[in-house]
Amino acid sequence: MGNGGQANKPVGKVMVVGAGIAGVQASLDLANAGFYVHLVEKKSAIGGVMAQLDKTFPTNDCSMCIISPKLVECGRHLNIDILTLTEVEGIQGEPGNFHVDVLKKARGVDMSKCTGCGTCLEACPIRYEPQMPEMERMARTAYAKATDEDAVTAIINRHRDKVGNLLPVLLDINRQFNWLPRCALEHVADELRIPLAEILRVASFYNAFSLVPRGKYIVNVCMGTGCFVKGAPRLLDRLERELGIKHGQTTEDFMFSLELVRCIGCCALAPAMRVGDDTFGRLTPNMIPRILKSYVESYGIEEEEEAAG
Amino acid sequence: MKITTLSQLEDLKRQGLTQTYPDKIKIMVGMATCGISAGADKVYTALEKKIAELGLDAVLEKTGCIGFCQREPLVDVIYPKQVRVSYEGVTPEKAEALVEALQTGEVFAENILCRIDQEDFLIEGKIRPYANPHPPALPGDIPTYEEVPFFKKQVKIALRNCGFIHPERIEEYIARGGYLALYKVLKEMTPEQVIEEVKASGLRGRGGAGFPTGLKWEFCRNAPGDMKYVICNADEGDPGAFMDRGILEGDPHAMLEGMAIGAYAMGAREGYIYCRAEYPLAIHRLEIAINQAEKLGLLGDNIFGTDFSFRVEIREGAGAFVCGEETALIASIEGKVGEPRPRPPYPAQSGLWGKPSNINNVKTWSHVAPIIMRGAKWYAKFGTKKSKGTTVFALVGKVNNTGLVEIPLGITLREMIFDIGGGIAGDRAFKAVQTGGPSGGCIPEQYLDTPVDYESLGALGSIMGSGGMIVMDDRDCMVDVAKYFIDFTKDESCGKCTPCREGTLRLMEMLEAITDGKGEEEDIEKLQDLSEMIIDSSLCGLGGTAPNPVLTTIKYFREEYEAHIWAKKCPARVCKALIVFHVDEDKCTGCTLCRKRCPVEAVEGVKKEAHRIIQEKCIKCGVCFDSCKFDAVIVE
Ligand SMILES: Cc1cc2nc3c(=O)[nH]c(=O)nc-3n(C[C@H](O)[C@H](O)[C@H](O)COP(=O)(O)O)c2cc1C
Ligand code: FES
Repeated sequence: MGNGGQANKPVGKVMVVGAGIAGVQASLDLANAGFYVHLVEKKSAIGGVMAQLDKTFPTNDCSMCIISPKLVECGRHLNIDILTLTEVEGIQGEPGNFHVDVLKKARGVDMSKCTGCGTCLEACPIRYEPQMPEMERMARTAYAKATDEDAVTAIINRHRDKVGNLLPVLLDINRQFNWLPRCALEHVADELRIPLAEILRVASFYNAFSLVPRGKYIVNVCMGTGCFVKGAPRLLDRLERELGIKHGQTTEDFMFSLELVRCIGCCALAPAMRVGDDTFGRLTPNMIPRILKSYVESYGIEEEEEAAG
Repeated sequence: MKITTLSQLEDLKRQGLTQTYPDKIKIMVGMATCGISAGADKVYTALEKKIAELGLDAVLEKTGCIGFCQREPLVDVIYPKQVRVSYEGVTPEKAEALVEALQTGEVFAENILCRIDQEDFLIEGKIRPYANPHPPALPGDIPTYEEVPFFKKQVKIALRNCGFIHPERIEEYIARGGYLALYKVLKEMTPEQVIEEVKASGLRGRGGAGFPTGLKWEFCRNAPGDMKYVICNADEGDPGAFMDRGILEGDPHAMLEGMAIGAYAMGAREGYIYCRAEYPLAIHRLEIAINQAEKLGLLGDNIFGTDFSFRVEIREGAGAFVCGEETALIASIEGKVGEPRPRPPYPAQSGLWGKPSNINNVKTWSHVAPIIMRGAKWYAKFGTKKSKGTTVFALVGKVNNTGLVEIPLGITLREMIFDIGGGIAGDRAFKAVQTGGPSGGCIPEQYLDTPVDYESLGALGSIMGSGGMIVMDDRDCMVDVAKYFIDFTKDESCGKCTPCREGTLRLMEMLEAITDGKGEEEDIEKLQDLSEMIIDSSLCGLGGTAPNPVLTTIKYFREEYEAHIWAKKCPARVCKALIVFHVDEDKCTGCTLCRKRCPVEAVEGVKKEAHRIIQEKCIKCGVCFDSCKFDAVIVE
């Protein structure tokens, strides 16, 4: 905190924690007023979420136009010391005389040479892939089998001539793998000449898509109003306990993913859920273990068949 | 073969009639999603096996949902030259017994729902009676279809064929008068006449807003441009509603014929059906239907040999509620992010790919063919002064008879819930009925005599919506219900405009605080203020209606909010933070069931002695309450 009492002359340093638009603006104001600023940010870059917004309220100004000059100014300001990938660990002292411990994490990149061109990001193989090798084996990633690339090509070809074909292509890929593997999306971007960023934007907008691998069976618990009033929350509780995961997660063996869906049109037989392609109605929590078991068993059989065939 | 003349259509119709009503026993199983989830597929396989085993000379068919989902699986048997009987709650064992009875030439007399002694051929205004509605073998007191309370007050126009035809066979649709309207329109009417007819019928959009359909068609027709599109909105995002699914799975041609007529009236040559991906069976049946119609020249190029061509394509949604909104839906068909945009320009001026487009709901399209064939006057006979015709509701929640019902507009909520719905399940007390999905509101008991139409429901702060009607009893907490809907709209808000994105989040935080027992003095007023702000300033209808559930529950159930805030009690005993589970020591027999089932070992006690719940461990999952056979677990 600044200690600027005497003769209105700014002395000392200020620490700003969090480099979103508010933090950036505050740092600029302080630095321009003559304070030395340490700007601390947990993430690897300053700017926060504002850059992701389309417009700002209430003037409908473009947010990038507002924030980017400030980012540049902040980065060049001699009175601002930017500490990214840094977390505050402890604060001692009193206003006017603070002692702050920060933990600055290694970046693995020489910051004095990096121009932020993004090439390494593009090439990084583990961006959307699961990081644990034993999991990677179980999740069906694109091109895990020799026929996968053909499957994606076939999907793209099926829809190639339609206008507005991105959504049908993504839906089919999602059906093929249960999620949208990065390499398949790159394939789509190349073939349909749609920027990857646009594809990712569409993919992350719709609930049906997943950018992380999901299990073999997707358990969709209906949380529509019809099911909600007939006890769907208890059904969900039970499923979460039986599977040992929360909704939105996948079991470790990549057998089940638990998801919520808003109505599957079976409201008269509420509460309902869908496992893979099968719909179950008039459920009670006590029926859950048996249903899940039947899938585990049938999976075992399929595996054997696959191994034998 | 392409059909070009009326006599060809009539030939096909005759063929369809012999197929639909064969000279031998015909068994039909209701195989819509609801039926299948109730076990209809198992019943079907059991029937198939037994018929083959006994060598019974019978036709086994699939059909759509007749609407009475509560009694599913439903099996209908047409006894040739006699009568048609509907059986309810059929199990595979019963199915086998049924086939055995049929084999001996008897009438199977168990599990009977009703007998159908005549069928209404609505399009032609004809009744097709069965030859012998009272075969002696049938028990005497079996009600007819029209006498069953669930069906009695219904008038089926959009659902005219659901449960009566095989949805994957175009001949059966034609047998009941299908595609006659399209023929009439193409050969005898000008586009203007069609629009006049639809305008005169008073048909209003069944997708939610209730805009007059004829007027919308006229705007689109008059918009300049030679390329126009018609779109069918089958996104049905409203949770707790399945009317559109019922129609698409039970009678897809009804909607397709309506679309083709609309396309002719508006001068469109291409159409899209935007159907949510959660309805795989509906999409499958639509594909079949489009294929069949194209083969017969009822869709595609030069329909009925005229120079009118119309192709349709199906587009699947990907699970975003906001894509039901027309501008978002258009963006989604274009392959973009499904975000709405400000109107005007309306889709009628600049819609799909910037061309004039018209969007109607599945139900709206399904009403078109009957209007053309029977005339606007006939249609306008049903309904009230401003709300004409019939509409389909999905009656669900805590009523005895859940299912799809089509009623003339203007019957009261009480008739819906107590006559058709058969009252509240388990003889509990009625508390509220929710209409209009996340955009609608909760209507309390004192307004049960309100007629169901656009204006009357609007006056109560709710909306007609697309047709979800969810009945709630005294065990539903209204604050929790409001929270549920805000949670829904918070998740589904596309995030483009701030009032909706941030506003719903703040509403959610406040409602969460209230249900967690952390409500504060002025919370109710704050909720109301914020709600009104969101309504006034949101970009599209999602935000503009999202706070309705909050506002109506505050208006009609304020005392429940107050109980949560002041007394820190949940009167309906739902909100986990405000309830405790106890064991009534006098009633507990020490059967140990609750102790065994408790997932967190929060119940202690020994066999044959009263048990006790350890409050510190209890996670309030309610398992003990559900398991207790002696009502010894009490919630307070
Ligand atoms: C948030 C939101 C969701 C909507 N969802 C649906 C829907 O699921 N189905 C539908 O038919 N109309 C829906 N609508 C209404 C449509 O925008 C449009 O008014 C309707 O499809 C027009 O058809 P109609 O004239 O036949 O009613 C929705 C509107 C909003 C604002
Ligand atoms: S509310 Fe669950 S299926 Fe519709």
